[in-house]
Parts: sequence; C-alpha cells; structure tokens
Amino acid sequence: MPRVQWALRYDQPCVEITLTLAADGQPMPRVLLADTGAGTRTSLFQLILDEDDCLLCGGKPLPPITLGGAYTGSFPTYRLAVKLPAIGFDENLRAVAVSTLPPAFDGIACFAFLNRFTYGHFGDPAQFGLEG
Amino acid sequence: MPAPQTVQDVNRQLAQRINDDALKNPQSPYANKWVGIANGQVVVVADTLDEMAKRLDAIEPDPSKTFGLAASEDPKEVQYIWRLS
Repeated sequence: MPRVQWALRYDQPCVEITLTLAADGQPMPRVLLADTGAGTRTSLFQLILDEDDCLLCGGKPLPPITLGGAYTGSFPTYRLAVKLPAIGFDENLRAVAVSTLPPAFDGIACFAFLNRFTYGHFGDPAQFGLEG
Repeated sequence: MPAPQTVQDVNRQLAQRINDDALKNPQSPYANKWVGIANGQVVVVADTLDEMAKRLDAIEPDPSKTFGLAASEDPKEVQYIWRLS
C-alpha cells in the first residue's frame, strides 16, 4: 500500500495536499495541521482552509455549516479537487472556509479526512504519514 | 418590483427545499445522499461528494449554474473543532 510521510512541523503532525489554481492550472501545495480533534468520523467536511485559497482554486460553493470550539459560528463551505500525488489520491473534498488558521499552517486536515487512511508515525516519531 | 432570480437563487432555493424535506422525512429519495443541482433541476443523486461532483461537472461545466448539497445535513448542528494552537 503506498505511503507518504512528512517531517513534523513545529513538532506537530502535518499533511501536504495539492490544490490547483483555477487561473492557470498550476499546482498549489498546502501544508495542513493533521488534527484528529477536528470534527468527527462522520463529519461531512474534510478540510479547513483559508477562504482565499478556496476561491483561488475554483472552490464551488456548498451549504454553510456551524462550527463550535476553536471556531464558532456559521462558515461557508466549498468543494475542491484535492490531490496527494504520492499515494494517488485525487478526489473532490469539502472544505470549510475560514479567515484564521493555526500559526505556520495553511489549514487543518480534519479527522474525517485522516481517518480515510492509515495514519501515524510508522515507526519514526519525527514524522507523520498517511498510507492508503 | 423584485429583482429577477438568478440561476444560483433558484438552485439554492431548491436545495433548501430538498434538505428541509430530507430532514423531516427519512424516506425521502434524497435522504443522506449528495444531490447535484443544475439550472434549477436535480441532475445527480450520489452516495459520495466526489461522485456527485464529477457527474455534476460533466453534466453542467459552468459552476455558476450548479449547486450541491448533502441532503439531511442539519445546518445548525454544531461540528466541534477542539483546538487552534
């Protein structure tokens, strides 16, 4: 099964996804905090991203959702084409669009996304990876 | 005189009706499905967002004329994000 691993960023787990710029089709890599405390297994959103990134990458609007905890209130959501080329992942996912993100990260990979894969450090505690 | 409705207005109104019905009636054909709307009509019913998106984009490539929803999703249900460090 293919696996991709990334060095921890500021000692926190991260995943790097690739979005695609709507204007010219160029890839736009984004490093996301891997956060199993973001949403649940059955949440109907997989990512939290900067709203500007959603729009730059041609995000198509979906109904808003209500968040609580670190984010509170109603937030717009978009569907976006998301790739992880190293493991052949290429799907439309739902992203919640926000204006404030964790420092040093471009967004959050939520539990509903991480849980689609086998995830962890795979024997190297300085890394975090996805397999699937 | 009210402004004429845009395609997006019509799509969103239909989406709202579908979701209201699916929330009230679990037997709705749209309950717990991803529904794709184009030009004011339902054109895709799928089990996953990815399937809905790919079929909807193939049917209507102009995103300004389409809308999607997860029927039965309660927009007021709070989804918790436990940290923001």
